[in-house]
Amino acid sequence: MAKKNWREFARNNVVTIMFIVVCAVCMVFSGYTPSYVMYELFGRLSRNAFIVLALIIPIVAGMGINFAITIGAMAAQIACILVLEWGLQGFGSFLAAAALTVPMAALFGFGIGKILNKMKGQEMIGGMILGYFANGLYQLLCLFIFDNIIPINNPNLTIKGSSGIANTIDLSKTGGMGGTLEKLWQLPVSQAVLVFALVIAAGLVIGHVRSHRKDAKKLGIQLGALAVVCVLMQLPVMKSLFSMVKVPMATFGIVALLCLFNVVLMRTRLGQQFRAVGQNRTVANAAGINVDKVRIIAITISTVLAGWGQLIFVQNLGAFQTYGAADQVGLYAGAAILVGGASVVRATNTQALLGTVLFHLMFILAPAAGKNLFGDAAIGEYFRVFMCYGVIALALVMHAWSSIAPKKKHHKATDKA
Amino acid sequence: MQRVNVSRKQLIACVLIVALALVLGVVGLYGLSCRNADSGVKLLQDMRLQAMLNTAGSGAVDAYVAAEKQVATKAARAAGGGMKEVREATAKAETEARARAEELGIGEVDLSEVDTTALGVALGAMVAAQEAYYEEEARAQEAYIALNKDAVTTTDDAAEITEDAASDAAMEETIDLSGFVATEEMNRLSAAVDEAYLALCEEIKGIFPALTDDILQSLKETITGVMAAAGDTFESRYDRAEASSGMNAGAFGVILRQARTFALTALGLVILALVVFFYAPLVKKMGVPRLIIGMFFLLLCLLALILNLSLTSQLGNTLVRLGMNGVLVLSMLPGIQCGISLNLGMPIGIIGGLIGGLLCIELGMSGIGGFLFACVVGLMISAVTGYFYGQLLNRLKGDEMSVTTYVGFSVVSLMCIGWLVLPFKSPIMKWPLGNGLRTTIGLQTAYKHVLNNFLSFELFGVTIPTGLLLFFALCCFLVWLFMRSKTGIAMSAAGANPRFAAATGIDVDRMRIIGTMLSTMLAAVGIIVYGQSYGFMQLYQAPRQMGFLAASAILLGGASTSRAKISNVIIGTFLFQGVLTLGMPVANALIPGSTISETLRILISNGIILYALTKSGGDTRG
Repeated sequence: MAKKNWREFARNNVVTIMFIVVCAVCMVFSGYTPSYVMYELFGRLSRNAFIVLALIIPIVAGMGINFAITIGAMAAQIACILVLEWGLQGFGSFLAAAALTVPMAALFGFGIGKILNKMKGQEMIGGMILGYFANGLYQLLCLFIFDNIIPINNPNLTIKGSSGIANTIDLSKTGGMGGTLEKLWQLPVSQAVLVFALVIAAGLVIGHVRSHRKDAKKLGIQLGALAVVCVLMQLPVMKSLFSMVKVPMATFGIVALLCLFNVVLMRTRLGQQFRAVGQNRTVANAAGINVDKVRIIAITISTVLAGWGQLIFVQNLGAFQTYGAADQVGLYAGAAILVGGASVVRATNTQALLGTVLFHLMFILAPAAGKNLFGDAAIGEYFRVFMCYGVIALALVMHAWSSIAPKKKHHKATDKA
Repeated sequence: MQRVNVSRKQLIACVLIVALALVLGVVGLYGLSCRNADSGVKLLQDMRLQAMLNTAGSGAVDAYVAAEKQVATKAARAAGGGMKEVREATAKAETEARARAEELGIGEVDLSEVDTTALGVALGAMVAAQEAYYEEEARAQEAYIALNKDAVTTTDDAAEITEDAASDAAMEETIDLSGFVATEEMNRLSAAVDEAYLALCEEIKGIFPALTDDILQSLKETITGVMAAAGDTFESRYDRAEASSGMNAGAFGVILRQARTFALTALGLVILALVVFFYAPLVKKMGVPRLIIGMFFLLLCLLALILNLSLTSQLGNTLVRLGMNGVLVLSMLPGIQCGISLNLGMPIGIIGGLIGGLLCIELGMSGIGGFLFACVVGLMISAVTGYFYGQLLNRLKGDEMSVTTYVGFSVVSLMCIGWLVLPFKSPIMKWPLGNGLRTTIGLQTAYKHVLNNFLSFELFGVTIPTGLLLFFALCCFLVWLFMRSKTGIAMSAAGANPRFAAATGIDVDRMRIIGTMLSTMLAAVGIIVYGQSYGFMQLYQAPRQMGFLAASAILLGGASTSRAKISNVIIGTFLFQGVLTLGMPVANALIPGSTISETLRILISNGIILYALTKSGGDTRG
């Protein structure tokens, strides 16, 4: 029985296991020191975790991976351009851009939802094509409407000698929003863990006190685990491993808040509706849920969150490519969440975070490993692109397989009858 | 004929548009007729004369100033001044002379002040001579290009190593005329122009006695440049004459200048009125997107005419691109018919074709033999891959499109590694430094243009790529024949209604595999045809977006995600490529140096797929 369980587990998490193996192999051959890898990884985590988490709600609502988050990312970039044009500065400009992203992304999300409701069952490919289409509109806006019809007065924003928005938008100039969120509060890992552990412990205790079922044993185990993690992190080995890392507390705090938001939302009435619609639209409809509306809400929330995610991403990098930065967002985020063990119908916070870690680990390691193994860094580069697409293809194939298999069994059963 | 229901609003709009069209049309036709009538000829002549007088006038002023300067210099020298004094005196004399020239109005002779009859005759003679010269030059150059066709045309490849094959819109050929020598006839006509100019000079001297022969000779280029140039049209002549004469020709001038624009706009408005009138049946027959893009295509044609771009040569390019992309688009058809919907995994087949082409270069084959060899190899490889691909698709019925897209993407990126490590040796294909194959590989040594040049002939100045079109027609015919065979009909039935087909004893899975294989194999041939016409093979990321382009073309032709016909392929490819080919020069003429045609391509190709998707999955039940 135990053996069967293991096999089941392996089959359900084949993508994750495969990725762990790939990462381990790459780690061995890359020749990077662990502390450097950790430094890179934390940087990428703080940039990318948020946008991956933005994918969860549409998956739960049965719309698959929302490849249209690229449109949310475009909203964030438009917000950045506008904020720069208005000459806002510092952390305030980041907040203004975040505020400005909301109405734009919500509007776009509403439109996406409307369109996706017309192609039920084809949301993923539809979302992807929508992303491409929106990219065309975005180019139209940035190249031909901004600076031609809507005047842009900031000379740093426009192409010199021609019209339209420049190829690269620099956010890290003095007074720019680049890195402002990170610089709010940075701590070394050992202390950061303490802070987060304290917050989580407080949350657990409050939850315990207010809960009707007082499960003291569970609370004890959770608190104990937290304490163990804290102590482990204070060991010199760990300290040397994370010696280069400075944890941007605000960024990770926001990511934690989003995780909490996802959990809490799923417990509300709306969350239940998401789940009901995701499991079976016909049943949900019969139960009196307005399926189309619920789906629009799910996509709208996802799009707004994706906008914020892109904002965090670009302010962390301090610059972005106007015409290319949003293109791959959906691909990378989608691949990351699938790597974590999510499928196109099921996803959790843990899977999203685990997936982000593994996916970006591979991203960091693959070029160096490719160079050392085959003498060509380009092989590693192409390999990681292949992994992005391959993971998504594999997840889709496996999902299609597993959802058809029960049906076939069912058919056979009825045939026999 | 069916009765067409037309609402009141439609009718009013139609009447308004037609009225506007009538007004514009009448004005335009009037302008066009005036161009050759006395009034039009006189206006242009007057402007040219004034332009010439202005140029000659400024020359006269210069001559006057130079003379004064000389006098001043001499005077200063005579007074025994040093270099400094002389220079100062000269500078002073120059400013004074210029001021005096202005006061006296030496350079400003108005048209009304002089008798222009003789001048006009001389000018007319020179313009006629010039026009004869340019005509002869154009003819001689054409003959030269035709004679040395292969040596002088080179496709610009350095400029377009782009990531996506999609952005290959710049298929322009640059023509090298450095070896061109003027013919005897041209020399004779050129001498005639010189003679006419000398005659003109005599007349000018009558007005500006200050002008010397030297100055007039130096002004020759300016004056002749205003009058005529190579590849001239009425509009460009008018613009030049108006700009250098500084005259304001008033409303009549505007009518004269814009006559073509007015007339063509009127034509466009008439078409618009017809569309508004027959809106309902047209939408029913064509669907909204095809109507919009069809109209857009017509608009581009009209704009090309208005902007004096050569419409025939653009349509000729469209024809080339129809044949070039046709087979790729055709490969969508069996996929749609057998029930796997849009085969966005088409890059799998493309890679087979690319390998065929690479082998052809590696083995040093060329000409039609090399082309056929590449096709055969491509067919064999893609038959195998298509079989397995079909097996995969059979396991995920109903969810094909997103899976095929990503399977296609991953195969393309896997092959990126393949291109790096495959053991090809030919120096044409390998990077001179480093590993792997180039991103674009020239096919000059292999099968470039073997189909394009086969039996090609000229028609209205457009080269018709007979071989290419014949090959495309042959492919279409074969597919058409197959679709009417027993297997083909069974395949369509399996795609249209799998359950019913299974009940009538059709092996649905087998039919789907046949359809997928056929689609993949056609894609392999398609990319070889594309390559032979384009002149290059594009590896790495290039095949990735081709599935989308082909899908949007066939959808534009009127196919749905579950039903397609040969006519959809031909119409769709023509419209899609027509918009792309015409879009670029028109966009460049309207907004120079912009990439708006590229943006348009993204919008059109993805918009049409989106539209088809909303039509296919639009069940509103919960």
